[in-house]
Amino acid sequence: MSSDTVSLVPSPVVSANGIFKSFGGVPALVDVSIDLIPGEVHCLAGENGCGKSTLIKIISGVERPDSGEILIDGVSHSHINANAAIKSGIQVIYQDFSLFPNLTVAENIVLTAEVARRRRLYSPASVRPKAEEILRDLGLDLDLDREVSELSVADKQLTAICRALVNDARAIIMDEPTTALTHSEVSRLFALVERLRARGVALMFVSHKLEEVLAISQRLTIMRSGRQIVTGPTTDFDERSISHYMTGREVDESRVVSELDATAPLALELVDLSLAGAYRNISFGLRRGEILGVTGLLGSGRTEIAESLFGVTPADEGQIKVNGAPVRIRSIQDAVSAGIGYVPEDRLSQGLFLEKSIADNIVASSLRSHRTRWGTLSRDAIASTIKHYFHGLKINARNAQAPVRTLSGGNAQRVVLAKWLATSPTVLLLNGPTVGVDVGSKQEILELLRVEAAKGMSVIVISDDAPELVSSCHRVLVIKQGRLTHILEGDEITVDTIQERMSA
Amino acid sequence: MSPDTKVRNGASGASALLPRVNDQLESWTQRLVRGSGAHRGAGRMVVALLIAFALFTALNPRVFLSPINLQNIAVAAPEIGIISIAMMLVMLTGGIDLSLVAIANFSAITISMLHNTIAASDPALANSLGIVIVLAGIVVGMLGGAVNGFLVSVVGITPILATLATMQIYNGMAIVWTGGTTLYGAPQLLATIGQTAVANAPLLFIIFLAVAVLIAILVNRTALGRMIQLEGANPVAARYSAIPRRAVLMKTYTYGGMLAGLAGVLFLARNPTASADYGASYVLLVIVIAVLGGTNPTGGFASVTGVVLATLTLQVVSSGFTAIRLSSYEYAIAQGVILIAVMILDAVSSTRARRQKKVASAPRSDVPTPETALPRA
Ligand SMILES: Nc1ncnc2c1ncn2[C@@H]1O[C@H](COP(=O)(O)OP(=O)(O)OP(=O)(O)O)[C@@H](O)[C@H]1O
Ligand SMILES: [Mg+2]
Repeated sequence: MSSDTVSLVPSPVVSANGIFKSFGGVPALVDVSIDLIPGEVHCLAGENGCGKSTLIKIISGVERPDSGEILIDGVSHSHINANAAIKSGIQVIYQDFSLFPNLTVAENIVLTAEVARRRRLYSPASVRPKAEEILRDLGLDLDLDREVSELSVADKQLTAICRALVNDARAIIMDEPTTALTHSEVSRLFALVERLRARGVALMFVSHKLEEVLAISQRLTIMRSGRQIVTGPTTDFDERSISHYMTGREVDESRVVSELDATAPLALELVDLSLAGAYRNISFGLRRGEILGVTGLLGSGRTEIAESLFGVTPADEGQIKVNGAPVRIRSIQDAVSAGIGYVPEDRLSQGLFLEKSIADNIVASSLRSHRTRWGTLSRDAIASTIKHYFHGLKINARNAQAPVRTLSGGNAQRVVLAKWLATSPTVLLLNGPTVGVDVGSKQEILELLRVEAAKGMSVIVISDDAPELVSSCHRVLVIKQGRLTHILEGDEITVDTIQERMSA
Repeated sequence: MSPDTKVRNGASGASALLPRVNDQLESWTQRLVRGSGAHRGAGRMVVALLIAFALFTALNPRVFLSPINLQNIAVAAPEIGIISIAMMLVMLTGGIDLSLVAIANFSAITISMLHNTIAASDPALANSLGIVIVLAGIVVGMLGGAVNGFLVSVVGITPILATLATMQIYNGMAIVWTGGTTLYGAPQLLATIGQTAVANAPLLFIIFLAVAVLIAILVNRTALGRMIQLEGANPVAARYSAIPRRAVLMKTYTYGGMLAGLAGVLFLARNPTASADYGASYVLLVIVIAVLGGTNPTGGFASVTGVVLATLTLQVVSSGFTAIRLSSYEYAIAQGVILIAVMILDAVSSTRARRQKKVASAPRSDVPTPETALPRA
């Protein structure tokens, strides 16, 4: 592509040239061209469903383009297969991780490389040192012998990252590698990326966190609805201009919280809630219509508190009151009948029925309230619920009958949200509600929560995304090593205070 | 029949109108397919049934098309069909029930035993109690299913192992109870059912269709049915969606047992004899039928229409083989061949669908808004 611009820029390891791709007649990529140059991090930004992951899958040979070519070291391929891509040194961290759940962390990290090298015999002893080395490099504390299915989302993500890095790749493509990670893991990952870059590896990076995009990349491509809007040096952009290119409008991330009625009754109250090994003596109240943030580092106990409230791992001690009345929550059914809903952290395995349609997913938790008086399901009621949320949440799909598997990450998250909103819970717990959601949609989802809260729903947002907490929460609780250490209110709620209290 | 096959139309969409029309067409066809309760399994089984029928008609029209033969198909299909529907139901949760045939036999034996015992002292009483005795058989089936449900949902044993064990137990109990002999005798009511026909359609066949309709309503139009599907599609997400796993599994296996009990009743209606080893070849046959009918072996997806059509197809093949004088061993070979052939067809058509998507490359100027595509129900 750029052979005539003879300059100091090394020639690309991989490039995609004039790629078109559509799914069932709907275009996902329209004439997209991109170069991965040694020693450079190329960021790909754009709204949910704009085609970032599709482009990555085409480069790595998982999907075939309708037209266009992939060049590896200048050699053209109309398409390549996944194995050939790995052999030519292209490694990908997929958005859904694509790990083998029943293998151990060590096996997952090392196995693809072994397979690509056509090793016939595999010895567990030989793989460990390599896996250990990469953990040391990243300063990680992962248990290599655990099965991947038992891991938290963050640990799964770290495993996927290690797998891509362990191979001596010449091009590494990371599709939203940081969604489940907190600040400290992200900085270690970035330090490693810098070292790889110095070694001449070509990198591609996708993230919806614009500060990460600006911090890590040298070149930036912004896409909208499958089209390449702009490509240029990252220094030409700032957060505002990126979100403007992405969405075509201004995105307002400022703090918008309603005045909370001081006399509003408590919707939820925790009294000295404890769970051995997870958290101790947690007490707080949540008013009707309040949006409460809960933050803390990975492993601080924030997720465990939410899971206890939802009956996944019931608390050992203490009391939970909903609307003033004590409730016993020993199972998920208990929690739901008490009026508690939960958008889980791991949406792919816990939140969604991937092969089922968007419609089936939306009503999955509220089937009983869609019955006719004969006990059969009311098609009209279901259709109107589905219509309401499909449009209300602006789920971007051809129609509500499409399987959730075909949705982009951010749209899948909206489906989980819709499922719980359809149960009209008293208290909605959201664990990472906007993980993997683009800047524009993030504000839309937060606005949606504000609207629901104004109508009387109480919301708990568990998140380590400080700007998000600032933008939407009345109060923010900080959890550290299983204890509630700070309650931030009013003017105290700023990005800096939150980050400081979290790690201090 | 799959909605995927329509995508080629989208290729020419240079104007903004065409894609809209295309989407509208697609949502209509989808609604049509959904409305008839038919999915992939149903579409391909219609084709398979027609092929099988045409083939045997061509090979031996005189015997195959004789009223007796057609009658036989309609009378033999219901018992296998109802057990297949029961199998489909448990497979929908991601499980399997190997004990269904044993339960059906146990139900038949219970009915025959009860009838004979009462008839020994008072034959008139036995016949007037016919309906009660028949219900007793169905209740025994439900109990058998409930035991399976308990083992799978509460104790947490893998379905294939739990039902393998109960299959042996029910079978063994039946042999001990009957002393390994064949029982003769059943309430008069059953003989009447077996011989009645409504407008040329045997009552047995009508019962089969009625059961199919009821189960289709259960699966598609009730909360329980949806929960069964979701449990099979992703048990973890089902748990996080507050779907009561235990209750759902318990009910599914109990319904399965009830249907097997009903199948036992149909055994007796066709032929007033009962033994522990009746229909030994059915155990695997009903799994073949369920899968042919479009039931996903890992759960979450199934079509009652597909299972009904698959039952008829295999029954046509079975009686066709008799018509051209082939043995039941050759029929067994045919079952395997059909299963593999349909699976290959499936694999081929899904790769073709993927290729077709490739053809549809010309980009559109607009991305369709959900409004244009959401089917209005
Ligand atoms: N297998 C598929 N079948 C049908 N449509 C698909 C399929 N995969 C992706 N799409 C559609 O292609 C479009 C682009 O999806 P893609 O996953 O590339 O988005 P993305 O930019 O990665 O979004 P996100 O930021 O949410 O991850 C979406 O509209 C999506 O619904
Ligand atoms: Mg993506």
